[in-house]
Amino acid sequence: MSREEIIARLKTILLDTDERSAAALDACGEDAELTTDLGLNSVGMLFMVISIEESFGVVFENVAIGDFVTVRDVVDYLETRLKETGAL
Amino acid sequence: MNDVKKGKSSSYLFYDFVKATAALPGLIWFRPKILFANEKARERIRGGALLIANHIGFFDPVYLMIAVWYRRQHFVCLKQFFESSWGWFFRAVHCIPIDRENVGLDSVREIIRHLKNGDLVSMFPEGQINRADGELAGFKSGMVLMAAQSGKPVIPVYIRPKRRRFERLVMMIGEPVDVKAIAAGSGMAGIENAAKLLRQREEELKERIGRSVE
Repeated sequence: MSREEIIARLKTILLDTDERSAAALDACGEDAELTTDLGLNSVGMLFMVISIEESFGVVFENVAIGDFVTVRDVVDYLETRLKETGAL
Repeated sequence: MNDVKKGKSSSYLFYDFVKATAALPGLIWFRPKILFANEKARERIRGGALLIANHIGFFDPVYLMIAVWYRRQHFVCLKQFFESSWGWFFRAVHCIPIDRENVGLDSVREIIRHLKNGDLVSMFPEGQINRADGELAGFKSGMVLMAAQSGKPVIPVYIRPKRRRFERLVMMIGEPVDVKAIAAGSGMAGIENAAKLLRQREEELKERIGRSVE
């Protein structure tokens, strides 16, 4: 799975989480900040992470919500986890 | 299931000891009066469920233990309590730590796991003690997310603040709310709506409890 595919799937998840955040992702790209640009609060971020785990089949381990500031942080973490699990 | 499960009950030895020791003094001191919103609310809570209540003081967990005396409860409390000199106590009574500033995914998974395992988890969605004489603050929606993920109901309880020192403790238990059905398919909007509904239910309990004791 390429980075572009990860972002595309992440966008679908954001659409399910909050339509406004998906639109903001289009506008700002990977540098979009989860809280300020996408407008996600801590519960919204939890919702997003749980959806990512279900969609990608990975588990976010030893991390807290505050560890992710931008979309890039999430995609980087996902890439690492997918490589570890052999899915990438 | 947490209740009296063979082979697992020994881990609750300290919890049960504390509960048994505090039961009689608690009943004498608080003289609790437990009301129910309707017949559905009167039914005993079986299996996994999330118990929520307004947060009026440090004794609220004790009050909830009295209200649902027949079940062991896992209270969600601040991580800072676990780091204090009383940390051993909170661990021994099976509380679940949560970091309010930077929510760890492990805490959320732990709560969902308990609910799915059939445990009763108790928390205070106002997030902190509210001394506004029974007026409810906004509810944090994280509890809805956890209950919806586990597929278990949320049961609201209202604790009436005491006007006088020796006044009886009065609580009202509401009927279970299926938040998964309310929040399904509408993302964060559904989660927020369910949190608002639960706060509304809590307000209704507050009004009804006021009428019941007047």
